[in-house]
Amino acid sequence: MTPAQLQAAGRPALPQQTVPSRLVRARDALASEWTKLRSLRSNRLTLAIAVVVTLVLTAVVAETFASAPGAGNHPASIDRLAGSFLAYAEYTVLPVTVLSVLVFTSEYASGLIRTTFSAVPRRGTVLAAKAAVTGAAALVVGEVLAFACFFLTQAILSGGHGGLSLAHPGALRAVLAAGFTLAACALVGVGAGAVIRHTAGAIAAAVTVVYLLAVLCLALPAPWNIRLGRFTLPYAAYAEVTGHPPAGLLSPWLSLLVLIGWPAAALLAAAAVLTRRDV
Amino acid sequence: MTHHPGGAVLLPLLAVAAAFVVGCLVDLSRARVRNLPKWGWAVIICITIPWGGLAYLILGREWARPGLSAPPPPTVPGVTASAASAASAASVTSVTSVPRRAVTDPVVIEVDRLTKRFGSVTAVDDLSFAVRPGTVTGFLGPNGAGKSTTLRVILGLDAPSSGTALVGGRRYQEFARPLHEVGSLLDATALPAGRAAWFHLLALAQSNGIGKRRVMEVLELTGLETVADRRTGEFSLGMKQRLGIAAALLADPPVLLLDEPVNGLDPEGIRWIRQLLRAMAADGRTILVSSHLMSEMAQTADHLIIIGRGRLLADTSTADFVSGTGQDVRVLSPRAGELASLLIAGGAAVTPEYDGGLAVTGMDAAAVGDLAVKYGIAVHELMARHASLEEAYLALTGVSTDYRAGSSLPDAPTAAAVR
Repeated sequence: MTPAQLQAAGRPALPQQTVPSRLVRARDALASEWTKLRSLRSNRLTLAIAVVVTLVLTAVVAETFASAPGAGNHPASIDRLAGSFLAYAEYTVLPVTVLSVLVFTSEYASGLIRTTFSAVPRRGTVLAAKAAVTGAAALVVGEVLAFACFFLTQAILSGGHGGLSLAHPGALRAVLAAGFTLAACALVGVGAGAVIRHTAGAIAAAVTVVYLLAVLCLALPAPWNIRLGRFTLPYAAYAEVTGHPPAGLLSPWLSLLVLIGWPAAALLAAAAVLTRRDV
Repeated sequence: MTHHPGGAVLLPLLAVAAAFVVGCLVDLSRARVRNLPKWGWAVIICITIPWGGLAYLILGREWARPGLSAPPPPTVPGVTASAASAASAASVTSVTSVPRRAVTDPVVIEVDRLTKRFGSVTAVDDLSFAVRPGTVTGFLGPNGAGKSTTLRVILGLDAPSSGTALVGGRRYQEFARPLHEVGSLLDATALPAGRAAWFHLLALAQSNGIGKRRVMEVLELTGLETVADRRTGEFSLGMKQRLGIAAALLADPPVLLLDEPVNGLDPEGIRWIRQLLRAMAADGRTILVSSHLMSEMAQTADHLIIIGRGRLLADTSTADFVSGTGQDVRVLSPRAGELASLLIAGGAAVTPEYDGGLAVTGMDAAAVGDLAVKYGIAVHELMARHASLEEAYLALTGVSTDYRAGSSLPDAPTAAAVR
């Protein structure tokens, strides 16, 4: 390239340099992170597989319930509400959590995070934008899939013991909360990725919060298993979606606070360390 | 919710919580905040009641501290790109934005007594230098000398242990849209392998309010328009370097910081970058290019800043650095022994070379030739030699190289000579 070509190509009219408002900077950061999220083929592929697997397994679970012998005589023996989300709780939540961890750790692994932070030096803005975009995407996917799982399960159950409608007490709350849980787990993943930076460690931490703490609590002697366990994400989510809550669980409203508390803690920890650390 | 047994308790609680949230939001709109932008705190306050509000008050709010007055809000005069390109001086003012410097003082990048420690290792040690516009400034030093650390501090990625690094008189973190002020390339391989080049640049552009048209332009400028939809993981090193340059040029910035931009490039790629940098400097921009190879910088840079073990070794124009290096005369003669004693008698110092030639210092080529003719000694070869920049550079940095192979390497004696 000759200097003349450079002159011609390199100096077009640029927008005038003024300090953009906070709103404009937030919009820019959100647009940038949304582009990053949607332009990764692996994200789309993983999500598509997760959705298909979840729907197929939801149908399988519903079929099993529908054909369970004598189940119709004991409606309480089958939680038709929570049963709608059995497959969703693992085959959607786990992949989405891992993808959310990668939002930060993939940039740290490749070194791209330096480019990101030199384009947007206010690291809190980057964190907020990544969390907002990832959380919003997970919320949309979660709500759509939760409704799909609910209607699919009830449609299959209606052949056997009769399915539930959305008007059933607690049904709408259960479906909405199931979708929200996905966003909560995604935000735990984003926070863990920002704090830990290494993919393997961050996935381990996120999965610990999203699943393993509940399993550990399960191993405690009663009544401590429920007393501690009810503050973990799976128990809180279960309290939202179950039609027959076992004794000792938190109320749905307090469980919602738990569902908000874990991602909030993860993101606040991320905000605290990101601004203090060298990149 | 009306059926909830605890409704009588819950409703007053909700009222208190709502009042708390509103109070926090009102306070947020007035206070100075840290860690997150205001809208981020607003979201957290609204969705995580009451912890978000508490977290904001503890972690987010800047409580007034005595003696720490808030810096004035940046008011950047609008300088259009055409005005910036009109003259190099004008492009400087567009960088500085805040008129802390007179236009006559054209320092754009200013590193002042910068020290950066990582644990017990001092990567940059009391380093000071300035970079001026309209030139390509080479930032040289052996591997591990602290070049990349210095560039990371300038870009606000690493916090200095002490000292400052300013661009246009301001800390990098103060730029609202830094790509418009400083284009940088730290590591060309730091790319999202699964993302197409187009989306990589687009995400970067969007973060600084740059439009899609400009993304297309820099892709054409760097010759990547035909591979824009390919994932960067499939790129060769040369293409990655071009993509890195494209990212640095996205907002057409008046300052460029490039870390080892020609590492691993083929000769054609090296020539491309060299011409690009020369053209950009001629355009009045400020360009700082790091390298550990002297030979490459000798052909590109007007000015050299050489560091070793984090300390400044030389800050000089390339021309001065060349003329400051030693020179000698090589003479080849069938009667080398006789000629050598005559030269020594004439006041020169003579070192025999591997092929029977003589390296003569302290006497110029004309004097050596005259002497040989005077005594009737045949001369088959007579040549004045400048010590290469590479040798001068090795002599300068030899003592401050962190990692060096055994003393059998040819630079060991030169290093000893410097000591």
